[in-house]
Amino acid sequence: MRGLLAIYRREMAGLFFGPLAWVLLALVFLLNGYLFVLYLKSSGGNVDTAVRLSLGDSWAFWVLLILVPPLLTMRMVSEESKSGLLEFLLTAPISDASVIVGKFLAATTFLALMWSAVFVYAGALSTLGAAPDTGVLIGGWIGAVLASALFSAVGLLASALTNTPVLAAFGAVLMNLVIVIAPLLSNLSDDPVFQRAIRHIDVIDHHTNSFLLGLFDTSYAVFFVAWTVLFLFLTVRALETRRWA
Amino acid sequence: MISVSHLTRRFGDFTALDDVSFEVAKGEVVGFLGPNGAGKTTTLRILAGYLPATSGTVRVAGFDVLRQSIEVRRRIGYLPEAVPLYREHRVVEMLEFQARLHGLSRDDTKRRIGEVLEKVGLTDRRRDLVGHLSRGLRQRAGLAVALLPNPEVLILDEPTSGLDPLQRIEVRALIQQLTTRHTVILSSHILPEIEATCPRVLIVHEGRLVADGTHAQLVRSHGSESHVRVEAVVGADVESARRLLGAIAGVRAVHDRGRLGIHHQFDIVCDEDLREDVGALAAAKKWALRELSWRRPTLEQLFSQIATGAGLATPSAARGESPSASASSVAHPSLALASKALASTGLSSAPETSTAQASPTLPVSARPAKVVYNLNPFDMGASRDLGRPKSVEGPTPSASEQRERESGEV
Repeated sequence: MRGLLAIYRREMAGLFFGPLAWVLLALVFLLNGYLFVLYLKSSGGNVDTAVRLSLGDSWAFWVLLILVPPLLTMRMVSEESKSGLLEFLLTAPISDASVIVGKFLAATTFLALMWSAVFVYAGALSTLGAAPDTGVLIGGWIGAVLASALFSAVGLLASALTNTPVLAAFGAVLMNLVIVIAPLLSNLSDDPVFQRAIRHIDVIDHHTNSFLLGLFDTSYAVFFVAWTVLFLFLTVRALETRRWA
Repeated sequence: MISVSHLTRRFGDFTALDDVSFEVAKGEVVGFLGPNGAGKTTTLRILAGYLPATSGTVRVAGFDVLRQSIEVRRRIGYLPEAVPLYREHRVVEMLEFQARLHGLSRDDTKRRIGEVLEKVGLTDRRRDLVGHLSRGLRQRAGLAVALLPNPEVLILDEPTSGLDPLQRIEVRALIQQLTTRHTVILSSHILPEIEATCPRVLIVHEGRLVADGTHAQLVRSHGSESHVRVEAVVGADVESARRLLGAIAGVRAVHDRGRLGIHHQFDIVCDEDLREDVGALAAAKKWALRELSWRRPTLEQLFSQIATGAGLATPSAARGESPSASASSVAHPSLALASKALASTGLSSAPETSTAQASPTLPVSARPAKVVYNLNPFDMGASRDLGRPKSVEGPTPSASEQRERESGEV
């Protein structure tokens, strides 16, 4: 735990000492703000719909989720492996898992910060007298953070599998893409078992049909947590194979 | 403090370490020596708990490196060769990070950071970004990071690689300061450095531990002898001069190295420095002295003997040392292969000159002695053996012929 916190603090500092985090934040805030205004207009002034669109009910949200986490996580393991820092971390008196989880939490925190821009929009709207539904706002944000956590874990796995950050980012984007569009396979067959299996990997559905409705359903939360833990577990294993290879 | 037994590590088909065993007592300073790729870094990484061993056990401070890894890692300070530090952090931030990793309390952290910065001399650079430090300063910062938790064992992988000579001296002095309080294992392929810092030396070659001991022990066990070299005009009766030299108390043997012009060269094998006695004898006998020197095999000669057989002895040493060296390499069966391989590449034939075979006191191989004059064109015949030029059969073979013949015979 102590090691995990040390790693987390180091990674947060590392993120914000570099230009990448600031550039990403600026771009995403700009895009999100612009899109939010568009959503407001297109929904005819329905504030709740605009919040829903900006926190998950739109393609833009998922494109950001596919692209941004890999950019954050790509360097976290691969570059440290190249520079020898991984050797330093893995000989420090902390477990491999705490190294990975510390980095994972740092990436997730950054993404949570990124999505919290909606709170600013909501605040601005409520001063104008059109406050969005709090449940939708907070539920949507929690869902977005949980989904971000999943994609961060995928990004870390890709980073742990290669020594080249660019390759890690590319691999992570591909994996994210597969995760997001896999549910489209449901059109292939009407077999009920197949349909059920598809439902168990449908990330978009788990986000939009629960959190975005302002509903915190633990089974939907468990869906995200389970997949995230699986990818983190695989990342720790991937890190361990580096010791053997 | 450290106990390694039957350590083997394979990378696929490649065996990086083959059945290595050694012990290091508390407070000892051990130099790990070997050519590049011999397995030094692999061994140190296993000790530090970064790599698992394929087989064998490693215990540090009584804890198994594989099973009680965290306990071991608490007790070691490991500085890898690449000196990994976060470039975007300041020196003091890096130290704080290390303190947090080791779970030091806030007071301890502050105190230890002050202490280690003082020790490595970076107190005035504590606010500098690590990325802006020079290679030498970065090395010191890395050492500070490794020292911060006050580890019982300090593992330094090539602590002076990539440094300029001045920085190298600094770092070496720094390490020497540390040796009083920590058990230190350091690796290097720079021999004088190991000789200067480490009383005990472990030599690895191709994944095997080929030598272990203090410098003096290694010199004794690996056959090369310390000797007094004397070169003087002894007149016609060489044999009686030889007997006289042999009669000096403490002399174990006298090797006749042959005549060089009007001078005659002897190597007087002895454990202590007998130059004064030899000088007194020469004065009494009115021998005109040209050289009187005390020669001890350096670690470098020893290392090249051990690693490659006799072949790579330094040119100045080749004349005197190579006979005993070749004898020792034969006596050391595990090394016969290495010297054989070297001979077939032709490397070993170059520095060897006639004197090697001509010395009567040495175990010369069964083939008839061939005299090859020194191939160094600037030597001006200084090493020519005037006593036995006629033993050459046929024309003096050229260098390439000689090489071919030698490799054929091996």
